[in-house]
Amino acid sequence: MIMQTSLLDSLANKVGASAVQQKSWELLSEIGLPQKKSESYKYTPITAILQKNINWELEHDFSVEHEFFYKEEGSHLVFSNGVFQKESSKIKSDLSIQFGEVSEGKHDPFSLLNQSLAPGELVITAGTKFPVFVYHFNSAGIANPRIKVKVEDGASIRLYEKLISSRQVNTFTNSYVEYEVGRNAFAYHTKVQNYHENVYSHETVVADVQSDSHFYNNTYSFDAALIRNNLVINLDGENCEGHMYGVFILDKNVHVDNNTSVDHLKPHSYSNELYKGILDEKSTGVFNGKIYVRQDAQKTNAFQSNNNILLSDEATIHTKPQLEIWADDVKCSHGCTSGQLDEDAIFYLRARGINEKSAKAMILNAFAVETMQHIGAKTVEEEVKSYIQQKLS
Amino acid sequence: MLEVKNLHASIEDKAILKGLDLNVNAGEVHAIMGPNGSGKSTLASVLAGREEYEVSDGSIVYQGEDLLELAPEERAQKGIFLAFQYPVEIPGVSTTNFLKTALNQVREARGEKPLDAVNFLKLMKEKMKLVEIDQSLLSRSLNEGFSGGEKKRNEIFQMAMLEPTLSILDETDSGLDIDALKIVADGVNKLKSEKTATIVVTHYQRLLDYIVPDYVHVLYKGRIVKSGDKSLALELEEKGYDWIKSELAEA
Repeated sequence: MIMQTSLLDSLANKVGASAVQQKSWELLSEIGLPQKKSESYKYTPITAILQKNINWELEHDFSVEHEFFYKEEGSHLVFSNGVFQKESSKIKSDLSIQFGEVSEGKHDPFSLLNQSLAPGELVITAGTKFPVFVYHFNSAGIANPRIKVKVEDGASIRLYEKLISSRQVNTFTNSYVEYEVGRNAFAYHTKVQNYHENVYSHETVVADVQSDSHFYNNTYSFDAALIRNNLVINLDGENCEGHMYGVFILDKNVHVDNNTSVDHLKPHSYSNELYKGILDEKSTGVFNGKIYVRQDAQKTNAFQSNNNILLSDEATIHTKPQLEIWADDVKCSHGCTSGQLDEDAIFYLRARGINEKSAKAMILNAFAVETMQHIGAKTVEEEVKSYIQQKLS
Repeated sequence: MLEVKNLHASIEDKAILKGLDLNVNAGEVHAIMGPNGSGKSTLASVLAGREEYEVSDGSIVYQGEDLLELAPEERAQKGIFLAFQYPVEIPGVSTTNFLKTALNQVREARGEKPLDAVNFLKLMKEKMKLVEIDQSLLSRSLNEGFSGGEKKRNEIFQMAMLEPTLSILDETDSGLDIDALKIVADGVNKLKSEKTATIVVTHYQRLLDYIVPDYVHVLYKGRIVKSGDKSLALELEEKGYDWIKSELAEA
């Protein structure tokens, strides 16, 4: 308890003045940040790790470089240490955005932390025909970027997130992105996490989805000190779909925790989840996938699968599917596999003249690529592919 | 072309091959027959370079070179081809993509230029006819969901693409119906030449009606205990292996 008090205490001077922010800080102070016994952070003792590695007061000069922008036509939005930078952004005329006061969001500890400390909230209203790229340029001990995406009835949006940080400072990014997806609407959220080794991040994506709408989330994780991804999808309508895809290819001491939850609240909805992990050296992967099917949610189809390949004896994967089903007429399946690289498959390729290195890369690449069908923007897809190639060669 | 002398091989400390001798010259077809567990597939695996098998004694010389010193891919690049008894399913890798990589790595090792997409496809079309394999099968994931016959045909198709010098067919006939067997045997026969050799490992005589061997060897308890011409295969088919076992017991 002492440690927790001190962490929140050392951040108290950063809490925003508005009523919403004051109130969320009070709430957070009551529930506290996750501690050792916290079930959902069991394998990721993030509070202690942050305490040890982050200097909250540090801030380093770091300029926004447009070279990091994806070479794609669309709106390119820049955050610097959690503050939206209109001047550095390139905004298409058909995109409606507004950076203003923080509004109420979810109430888990890190969402509350973001809500308390965020310097503002960027509201994006879908309706643009171009993709939206968001770049977080971080060089401070802590940054709390906050985005709300309103996808109105019939609208659609593709949003891509990327974090670029200063090498000089250990940074903690606690981002929060919330989607309100109306009826018959589509939203695609994609992030590529190939960070410096002094980057710690807790990234929350929440989507509330109404009838006849689809929400896709793609997460590709490669490098960082520690990443925790919280993904929460509430399918609060009939005939809606939630898609969750992810790859994590880790080495060194990298720690990536994917915590996902999809809640089927109404009948006839569908969810599909596929996460693939390849772990080398002393890396750690965590996958926790929750599926809830409420009593009203008859005729739900929910599928989940997490497959992992361990390339080293010192790598670790914790994988835990969790299904809670109250309805009686549903189709749900889940499966987790963890194993080594298939030696028979490697021998088969080598016996045809392919050298060992290419054989391994071919198999691992094929394993990972399955999750990449919904990215959309070609340059992002190419980037993910090239990171996969780099990691596997 | 291939000289196997006093070969001893084991897997997980279990001795399987116990002094095997075999000579194969260019232009020849050798059949290796024998009861289950005699070491037939072990021989095929050791020739292809499977690392789980430990060679404790003996030698294998292939085209004047110590084969045991070579990695599996180097053996393939030098013209050894193993048609697998159980071809492996590899999700996400298409046969086409896999073969293009394989063929070009083999060509590179032989000092030849890689084939471009156009010439590769041309070659593929030509070889596809040989084993009557369908284009749609080749664009699917390698062997995934293929029937037994499709897998074996795919093996022979790969063999046709890679044009090996020494082909080893490991129980290629098992589980094939007669039509598929004919297609596979036909493919193998078309690929034979004066410069190439074939080792057919089989449990049954049936395949040897279509791929006619010059020599038939009986492998038993890790050694070749009897060799003869194709009539030996017929004799085995008729009488089984027991007479060989009792012949050995008497000796």
